[in-house]
Amino acid sequence: MGTHIEAACVLTRRGLRKATARGLADAAARACFAQAGRQPGDVDMLINVGIYREDNMGEPALAALIQEDIGANLGEPPVGAHGTFSFDLLNGTCGVISAIQLESGLLRSGVIRLGAIVTSDVDPDAGSHEAAVLRPAGGAMLLGWDDSITGFTDFHTETFPEYADMYTSGLVWRGRRGIRFPQQGAGRHQLVIDEKPGYHARLADCAEEATRNFLRRLGMDMADVDLLVPAPSVPRFVDTLRERLGMPGDRVAYTPEDLEGTHTTGPIAAVQAAVRSGRLGEAGNMLVLAAGAGITVALALYRQTPA
Amino acid sequence: MTETRQEQSRHWLALQSPGSDSSRGCRIESVGVKLPAQRLTTRDLMSRTSHRTHIQLERLTGIHERRVVGPGENSFTLAAGAARDCLSHSQHRASDIQMLINTSITRSKGRFSQSYEPPLSLYVKQAIGATQAVNLDLSNACAGMLTGVFLLQDLITRGEIDCGMVVSGEYISNLSWNAAKQIRSLFSKQLASLTLGDAGAAVIVERAPGGSGIDVIGFTTLAEHSRLCLAFPSTVGPGSQMYTKSRTLHRVAIGDVAVLAAEAIGQAGIDVADIDYLIPHQTSARAIRAGSKEFVRRFGARPKHVVVNLEEYGNTSSTTLFVALHKYLEEQRIRKGDRVMLLALASGIEIGIAIFTVDSMVDRYGNTH
Repeated sequence: MGTHIEAACVLTRRGLRKATARGLADAAARACFAQAGRQPGDVDMLINVGIYREDNMGEPALAALIQEDIGANLGEPPVGAHGTFSFDLLNGTCGVISAIQLESGLLRSGVIRLGAIVTSDVDPDAGSHEAAVLRPAGGAMLLGWDDSITGFTDFHTETFPEYADMYTSGLVWRGRRGIRFPQQGAGRHQLVIDEKPGYHARLADCAEEATRNFLRRLGMDMADVDLLVPAPSVPRFVDTLRERLGMPGDRVAYTPEDLEGTHTTGPIAAVQAAVRSGRLGEAGNMLVLAAGAGITVALALYRQTPA
Repeated sequence: MTETRQEQSRHWLALQSPGSDSSRGCRIESVGVKLPAQRLTTRDLMSRTSHRTHIQLERLTGIHERRVVGPGENSFTLAAGAARDCLSHSQHRASDIQMLINTSITRSKGRFSQSYEPPLSLYVKQAIGATQAVNLDLSNACAGMLTGVFLLQDLITRGEIDCGMVVSGEYISNLSWNAAKQIRSLFSKQLASLTLGDAGAAVIVERAPGGSGIDVIGFTTLAEHSRLCLAFPSTVGPGSQMYTKSRTLHRVAIGDVAVLAAEAIGQAGIDVADIDYLIPHQTSARAIRAGSKEFVRRFGARPKHVVVNLEEYGNTSSTTLFVALHKYLEEQRIRKGDRVMLLALASGIEIGIAIFTVDSMVDRYGNTH
């Protein structure tokens, strides 16, 4: 028995309509509930792991707004029913795996029975960053408990702080210069993403090392992994990592090109790709991997062996 | 890892309670703070508003002064300072910490007024030497630190880790300065921004053999009121601006808190009168008094003491509960065996409740330390 993936769904901006982080997350969450045949009111915990928003809202947690938008237990429930607890978790592209680890534990404890992980990113200052591109995307994943499979069993997170300055992001105050009219602001905050040369190569190095450390801890090797599900953190990351690990291409879930650069949504996009390829159902051991700023590498082992 | 999963009865709160038969409990082992040295009185702040407001803020909120950062201080330095202070009161070394969660709403560091990646927790763990800890940031407005304790409690009671730290550094006084440039009257939605003060706080949570320590901890989000308090980056100066419908927020929260507190107290198997200290989120003395009256109306009793430290520190956002707990420990007002209730109330609306019994931790605070 263990935590299993009930549904995983990713949406990207389509058409000319301007995407918002909340809109993408809401739409992905609704699609995910529909895919799983669940109602939003079923969810006990909703964690948003998205970071970048068009308005850079800092409070409340975006998760609370998403909870309201999808209508998940908004107020006092009937006697004997449950509420929903929502908050944001920030761990870059590894956020989804961190959230899976936390919700998996709470499912195991019986504190929650259905967990949702929602994410989205929209670049508030698109075009102003030289190296990094944030593709507007939203994703959602539902985690439940299944008595018949082993599910998520082990997690591993490793940081390489010597590379912490290779990818940094945040808001920088830009004061307005020159004559200012009475109704004009004194300035604005601009999102600055700073990516150093060589970051992509270091991501692959760190991901390889963390993967080998994780498998060693579990007494496994790559031959025991039936399906590698890597988040497409940066261009060509998946191929580089696959070669480093000596993993045949037919045992890797490739995310479609239009979902590359989807940042925090990446791990859900990778899981969705695994589901759609039909290989998730066949895989006994699936290794979900994400690598991002920090450098942080997060891994989760999902076993579909009978419990 | 396959374990037997215990089906728990349903509550409004997502609720954790080790129970009397549990072999693994979880306890608060130490608390630390970092308070900036510089003080700003309410009188001084209100004398510097751009418009004549006629607001008697001190009389309205009970806040006489708050701490504000000096040169070189920011969210990160406050968080790291609090983490070091926490370790100085702890029996643990930094290398014992297996998970470190940073919960700052404000995440200023270096040139960034709000840092996103890498998470601040990475820098904090490097600063204190907790190099092997798994780190992540979470954001849950003023309920952040207690949310972190909630998550660590589960990891610890399941035996996944033995020791974790929650830390937060809030350089949030720039919201006051931004509000001071625009606020005109008592009815301004930025009024609550004038109550804010800077602080860092940290707490170490560890495994407690025998199930002692935290009796119950629970959370819920009243999302139908998610838009009552919103903060966005400012256009009048560095930092954010916060817009709050304070009266509605307090009215809703006070009504629902009593119901949720009844759930938590019931789960802990105690009465309200068994609680020695209630430490609520520090917003205004008036709101805390109204909340206490609601306790009496609903339960026919109130906790023996209700902690209010607004006069000295103001509302230090996500750190208020642990700044207050630390102060009472240092002043040796809280004693071994006392039962404490922490009540987080935050934009969302997030309501979190923890009830725990204080143990030998008190020996490491105060003049004897």
